[in-house]
Amino acid sequence: MSLQDMKRQIQSVDNTAKMTGAMQTISAVKLSRARERLDRIRPYTDNMQQMMQDIASRAGGDNPLLAGREEVRNVAVCTITSDRGLAGPFNAQVLRRTMQFRQEQDVDIVQVVTGRKAVEFFRFGRISLEEAFTGFSDEPSFEKAQEIGRHLTQLFEDEEADEVHLVYNQFQSALVQRATVTRLLPAAPEDTDEEEDEEDGEEEGRGAPFEFIPDAEVILERLVPKYVETLIFRALFESAAGEHGSRMSAMKSATDAAHEMSEDLKQQMNKARQAAITQEIIEIAAAAEALG
Amino acid sequence: MSEDQNQQEGRQLFCRVITPEKMIYDGEADLVVVRIADGDIGVMRDHAPVVSTVEPREVRITQDDERYVFATSDGFFKVSENLVQILVEEAVPPDEIDVEEAESRVEQAENELSEVSDDEDAERQRTEIERRRQVAENLVRVARDYGEG
Repeated sequence: MSLQDMKRQIQSVDNTAKMTGAMQTISAVKLSRARERLDRIRPYTDNMQQMMQDIASRAGGDNPLLAGREEVRNVAVCTITSDRGLAGPFNAQVLRRTMQFRQEQDVDIVQVVTGRKAVEFFRFGRISLEEAFTGFSDEPSFEKAQEIGRHLTQLFEDEEADEVHLVYNQFQSALVQRATVTRLLPAAPEDTDEEEDEEDGEEEGRGAPFEFIPDAEVILERLVPKYVETLIFRALFESAAGEHGSRMSAMKSATDAAHEMSEDLKQQMNKARQAAITQEIIEIAAAAEALG
Repeated sequence: MSEDQNQQEGRQLFCRVITPEKMIYDGEADLVVVRIADGDIGVMRDHAPVVSTVEPREVRITQDDERYVFATSDGFFKVSENLVQILVEEAVPPDEIDVEEAESRVEQAENELSEVSDDEDAERQRTEIERRRQVAENLVRVARDYGEG
């Protein structure tokens, strides 16, 4: 490689580092904004879940939205991904979790997605999508969550799906996002082994019994769809924060790698340059000696 | 502070008005009046536990001679252990209501209502649009009833 070529390559690596560095900074800003919003929506989502539990523990035993149907023939899965890439393993891990979940089911699957990355993934895998919502992954809104929630609740009510699950990246920190599966419908708390263990230690029917006005069924009819929307709302925000966090650390690795590569190249170039100079001096010295 | 006083303080009623965007009100309250499923309910301390739905009206909170009013969308209501929780999608104080915007929302909903085609989903769509119309109309009403002047 000539010195010219090396110079050009260093230039190009430095440019890449500049770009990834800028993307890292932008992602950091977006991450802190997303975290702030995540904190702001938490009171609403937490209280909505609490209210759901209050009612579910005392009523609604035969409401399908809450208790489910006896026979499960179809399961709907909604996978939340980002619209844009360059976010490290962010999308791959949630898609892998989705495929794993799909394999665990022995019934038909209705696949719904949000984010362009999931659309590309399933198109490539020739898996048909029932519906795709795209174009808002890095700045979700409550309206979008409502739209998705309504669609999923409708699938359940029309008996196109007897269960609805959500797969998304749960935000744990800027560096850690965990691909998680949550059941949206039926909305009764899932009796996993873990929860049963917890319940053993707790007393039944804690707190005073509520008076439901007009009655629990009517409240449930309205609460369950809102509850589904709320869970989606939170998942969209956790996913958005995770997307920015993941992209930030992916870009940081890229920037670091580029700097390292640039340093290596510079050293190589200096060596080559010095070798060339030495060569020239030797040639001149040899020529002078021959003339002398 | 003596234990007695502590207990007394524990008996104070608290109220939270929460929307997906933020906590609109979070503090003590002497009296909270909300329109729930069967009409207005007035909550003072030591109220029996109730869960209900909230209708698109106004929430009125009285605390130390101060009155706070919020126009709300529909939502959910819970009172338990001296804590009132009102979960709504929108809650706006009267002087922050954008009347023009609310009126255009009413108009838009009315247009949409007339355009609902008669398929099997029509009933559900009508209910949803009607709900939006009521929420927007309520904003206009509260701005008029409680606004300045």
